Amino acid sequence: MVISFWIGNFHSFALIICTFVIYACSEVPRPRGVSLSKSSLYSPTKDFTCFDGTVTIPFSYVNDDYCDCFDGSDEPGTSACLNGIFHCTNAGHRPQNIPSSRVNDGVCDCCDGTDEYAEPDTCKNICEEMGKEARAEAQRLADLHKAGNHFRLELIEKGNKKRNEMAEQLSQLEKDKEEALKIMAEKEALKNELEAKENEVLQVYRDAEEKERQRKAEEEKEAVTKEAMEYFTRIDSNQDDVLTTDEIKVINSFDKNKDGEVDQEELQYFLGNNENVDKDTFISTTWPLLKPLVMMEQGMYQPTSEVEDNDQDANHDAVGELDNDDAEEENVDEELAHDVDQDVEPEQSSQSYDEETQKIVDEATEARRQWTDAERTVREIESNIKNFQQNLEKDYGLQQEYATLDGQCLEYEDKEYIYKLCLFQKVTQKSKNGAAEVGLGNWGEWAGEDNNKYSVMKYTNGIACWNGPSRMTTVNIHCGLETKILSVTEPYRCEYKIELATPAACDESNITQQPSHDEL
Amino acid sequence: MKPLGLLLVVLLAIIGVYGVDRNNFKSCDQSGFCKRLRPFKPEKSQYTLNLDSVIVHGNVLSAEVTTVNTETEKKITLWRYALKLSALVDGTFRIELDEADPLYPRYRTQLALNGEPKADGLKLISNENGKLTLSNNQGQKVLITSEPLKFEFLDKNGDVAVVLNENSQLLVEPLRVRKERTDDEDPGNAENAIEVEEEGTWSENFKSHHDSKPRGNEAVSVDVTFPDADQVYGIPEHTDKFALSTTTSGEPYRMYNLDVFEYELDSRMAIYGAVPVLYAHGSKRTVGVFWHNSAETWVDVVNYADGTVVSSLVNLVTGGQKRRVDARFMSESGIVDLFVMLGNTPADVFRQYTTLTGVAPLPPKFSLGYHQSRWNYVDEADVRSVDENFDAHDIPADVIWLDIEYTDRKKYFTWDLEKFAHPAEMVANLTAKGRRLVVIIDPHIKREAGYFVHEDAMEQGLYVKDKDGNVYEGWCWPGSSSYLDFFNPAATKYYAERFRFENFPGTSKDVHIWNDMNEPSVFNGPEITMPKDCRHYKPPQDGHDGLASFWEHRHVHNEYGLWQIRATHLGMLERSDNKYRPFILTRSTFAGTQRYAAMWTGDNAAEWGFLQASTRMCLSLAAAGISFCGSDVGGFFKYPEPELMTRWYQAGAYQAFFRAHSHIETKRREPWLYEASTTALLRDAVRRRYALVDFWYTLFYEHTLDGTPVTRPLFQEYPKEEDTYTIDDEYLLGDKLLVRPVLEPGVKSVKVYLPGRDTNTLWYDVDSYQAHKANGYFTQEVNIAKIPVYQRGGSIVPRKERVRRSSTLMANDPFTFVVALDANNTASGSLYIDDGETYDYQNNKYVYSKISYEPNRMSYTLVNPAAQYSTRAWVERIVIAGIRNPPKSARLLQGDRSSALQMTLHRGNDVLVIRKPAASVATDWTIEFAY
Repeated sequence: MVISFWIGNFHSFALIICTFVIYACSEVPRPRGVSLSKSSLYSPTKDFTCFDGTVTIPFSYVNDDYCDCFDGSDEPGTSACLNGIFHCTNAGHRPQNIPSSRVNDGVCDCCDGTDEYAEPDTCKNICEEMGKEARAEAQRLADLHKAGNHFRLELIEKGNKKRNEMAEQLSQLEKDKEEALKIMAEKEALKNELEAKENEVLQVYRDAEEKERQRKAEEEKEAVTKEAMEYFTRIDSNQDDVLTTDEIKVINSFDKNKDGEVDQEELQYFLGNNENVDKDTFISTTWPLLKPLVMMEQGMYQPTSEVEDNDQDANHDAVGELDNDDAEEENVDEELAHDVDQDVEPEQSSQSYDEETQKIVDEATEARRQWTDAERTVREIESNIKNFQQNLEKDYGLQQEYATLDGQCLEYEDKEYIYKLCLFQKVTQKSKNGAAEVGLGNWGEWAGEDNNKYSVMKYTNGIACWNGPSRMTTVNIHCGLETKILSVTEPYRCEYKIELATPAACDESNITQQPSHDEL
Repeated sequence: MKPLGLLLVVLLAIIGVYGVDRNNFKSCDQSGFCKRLRPFKPEKSQYTLNLDSVIVHGNVLSAEVTTVNTETEKKITLWRYALKLSALVDGTFRIELDEADPLYPRYRTQLALNGEPKADGLKLISNENGKLTLSNNQGQKVLITSEPLKFEFLDKNGDVAVVLNENSQLLVEPLRVRKERTDDEDPGNAENAIEVEEEGTWSENFKSHHDSKPRGNEAVSVDVTFPDADQVYGIPEHTDKFALSTTTSGEPYRMYNLDVFEYELDSRMAIYGAVPVLYAHGSKRTVGVFWHNSAETWVDVVNYADGTVVSSLVNLVTGGQKRRVDARFMSESGIVDLFVMLGNTPADVFRQYTTLTGVAPLPPKFSLGYHQSRWNYVDEADVRSVDENFDAHDIPADVIWLDIEYTDRKKYFTWDLEKFAHPAEMVANLTAKGRRLVVIIDPHIKREAGYFVHEDAMEQGLYVKDKDGNVYEGWCWPGSSSYLDFFNPAATKYYAERFRFENFPGTSKDVHIWNDMNEPSVFNGPEITMPKDCRHYKPPQDGHDGLASFWEHRHVHNEYGLWQIRATHLGMLERSDNKYRPFILTRSTFAGTQRYAAMWTGDNAAEWGFLQASTRMCLSLAAAGISFCGSDVGGFFKYPEPELMTRWYQAGAYQAFFRAHSHIETKRREPWLYEASTTALLRDAVRRRYALVDFWYTLFYEHTLDGTPVTRPLFQEYPKEEDTYTIDDEYLLGDKLLVRPVLEPGVKSVKVYLPGRDTNTLWYDVDSYQAHKANGYFTQEVNIAKIPVYQRGGSIVPRKERVRRSSTLMANDPFTFVVALDANNTASGSLYIDDGETYDYQNNKYVYSKISYEPNRMSYTLVNPAAQYSTRAWVERIVIAGIRNPPKSARLLQGDRSSALQMTLHRGNDVLVIRKPAASVATDWTIEFAY
């Protein structure tokens, strides 16, 4: 703020009643618009040198409503210099420095009205009233901070306690973890031992199964060859053990697209680039292609519709594209679940074993279950540890005054929405007409200015706006006797602003003292 | 995992690819009459003037024109027409060709002209060999050949300057009765043979929209030839170059006011505005034609100098002469009504056009300041915060704008009382600092039970009707909407009354109006506008029933928005008992728009291309009478990075209408939301504007006097310099400042053309007073802070160096006069001052002075001593740049006062500054110099 930037830090003892253009009738005469601290730079008995040292002018040029200095220092009391500064004493209230462009523009900027001297009736001196109000406001704030300080101290105490507890819990957890790891190792050893045994006894059953499978495959192959041979013989009209294209062309089954003729494309499909096909090739290559068509003709086989297939693929793609993150997560979850299944119940065979074997298998299964449980316990502890560590790393204020507020959720309703702020967690918005909850940001950081870091919180990376950035929320924190939301606004699109009152922000010692010695 | 490529495709689809959806808008082939007329190019025109019917009376020649079937031996008259040729003041002629006895009256555009044009005298000089020769009082001649009909307009030297129907494309499609199809009629009947109806005569379709065309075809066309022309200009609004291009290899220029979402650059597509005036310029002369027609219009241009024009055609038509441009107007309905303006200079022809359609009245002064807009400032607190931030960052601003969201759910003339509970207080906060508020009022009215405007409009029949005579319903911001029919005097009266302060609580004289969406925009209509067969009010008249009892939207489309702003203007005058000047911003434009409103170039985007387009688009509009033009500074769609934002503010500071605006979905971008270094540059640009607000105000005042553009193409002032003919990234403010804004990213220098070599013109860099001799292009080095602006040697520019929070607060501030000397050590300028907001200036309450400088004296003289305005403003400084022999002393003489002045020399001793002459600008004064 330009104005506050120029506010000097000094006191005035002068009683100001202005009558002359250049001199104020005070104990220290000085040109209009000059602060006491700078008055020594304007000496009526000497030529005036601009503050930047570039030009020296007769003193009569000071405040003569013509800008001679590049830095504007020769016209503290007029609007002549674009970069000039006008000082108003504002006796009874705070002194103020305003840009020269606000001198004599018809707008009252100084509470003492001195900026509008060209038309003295334009502005009344309202510094006394304003000063009174400001002091009352300062007092109110001081009282509030004082009252709130009590609660704040409680919060600090609780916060420190909470932190200490957490630290204790954390070290306990570390111990628990060590213990759990030990147990897990034991269980793993046991599991491995029993699984080795299990493997051994089950090998017999596996060998038998493998043999049976091979036998079945053998049988199946023979059946197919037989079938192919029969078909081959049937369509090999000249019985020369070679099928020529002419022979094929008359067979409906080769008319793949059912257009009434077996065209070149279809021949190519079945024969490759060959003119004809012998028995072996027919069995190995042609028959597998032809069989579904033959079966279909015989009404034994319904093809899966290609079109439908494509559709399903497309749908699946679309879902993946639109909602990629979710889809991926699901996949990952499924895989994990699958892994676990395999670990726990690797061989869910319907086969029944003899009593002895069954016992060994049961033992191994139990060992696996115990190992999994042990492993889960370790993971849970680790995750707890991580949470505690994160919380301990969080910045809860200089004295932990915000620690107990972590996770506390506050709501605020306006015409259209219900806002929810869970401190140090997230901000959400829910439409009253029932639309889904929208994330307005997750805990980011303290973002107050350097000397007041804990006055502003930032929650960032909310749900992205259409065609725009991610939503974010700024929380401005004020001293108040209870923790509550005062207002929620959206000053910039997708950038929300919450005004929050909490005793954690009350600090007796930290109130900017209103400079009461500024008064007369 | 999905392949990354797919993801990218999807992302692109979601983010959206910027650009117009051409499918929503017609090409010539999709517009029935354009498709029908464009190939129409007979060997010989069928139109013939009946010499026996010629009557010359007053300033008018009347005659019968017939079409004759030229293909048969027997000359069968096909149709009869009435021709009127009028001589008008200031070197202008008007040709009107209507059917002699039309089935229904054909539409004559109503609002474009600023009243009935003033008559000149017309004399028939000779009538021989089938040729008529006429002359106006100035001796400018028109030759009319009777068969085939042809008009030749001669310049003052007797050379042919404009020819009509040289290419035989004159056409008035006669209105016909729709024949019910009867198969038993005699196919041999000759009359019937002519009436074989083409498909599309009685209805057309576009996408899912049906146009019932109850009158059938009624198109008109004329071709215009400009011998000796190098370039033609005009017919805005297009994003194409200022100098128009040959259209033979593409689409014609289209004029049909449309709300084009994400309109494209370098295009001849129609967008929001249509001003059918065309100028032809060459080193020999400048002329123009104004096609007085409000229907959909397409214009073909052939410039014989263009490489694309086949040389055989050049040889055939012009015998190798490449200096010629042909243009052809095609409109869907109306009559042939063409004004021919004979120039002879660019300034002449620009003035001739505003003589016909009116000048822009003096705007309220605040409107020349900086405007801050956004869709939307969300509530009163937001408005207050924006207002206060201007002061906190010491950036001047005159106006805050409220877009549609201020209303109670898009019901105009209401407030959203949740967000704007105290509008009067909000306005008072602004006016306390001399600022104003502008609120939006669109022509679509929400159809909602209980909304007073809607209920009144229904009850009083004030809406546009559909093809069947029922109230037309379209879709716009509020959802289902109907459209006020401003052609109905009752609708205009009703609408105008809504602006009364008691009818629009919270408004005051300091609340001004923005008319948007007035093409009109209809989201679900054909081409996002109103169906052409909608019905508008027509005053009842005996015998005018059925199709003759209303106008179709097709007849009036391009002037719909003009009717709205006229009604707004009326309402704003009436609300203050004609005391205060209204400020209105319109998006749609037509000939005559300048009489009521400023305009802007609509929904552009934060891209360098749109910044570049804004300069040439506003040049074109200014030439077409609408000088008060600007673009959304920063771009409406998308977000401008600091460099683009900076360059746009710098360019905007030197365009007439200077407003930042942005889309609701974009990131906020008020000047202080950028890095401090960028904010400083934006502040600097805005301050430069404020230093020149009085200069701009003077230019707008002078526009009311001479009707020439405020922002000018270089060729207006330097018509013989051929290099200037195609320059459209550089322009002049009045005849004094030359502006070449930096419109390109990342450049270290720009090429600036400095005109006036033959006259030894000097151009002074306004930042350094360094003089450059005019010598065509020179390279100006630029950094991010540089705005290349030059003051012409020989000019005097008034400035106010004390920039305050708003222009209003600067009213009493002193002036600095910058005197830039020409080669003869002389200079002149002017200054206009009044109260800035009332019509008192029309009662001689103003100061208008001529300022002149010669080596021995400088004088400030009121042009009209009867006009006085008691301003407290004074002269604080006079800077004389380019002085070679500085005077030793100077003395001011004003009234009884005579005082010696102090002077200092600066820069290489060629800039003399007179310190604080303290002369009042309310009365005459002189300064005498001694050497």
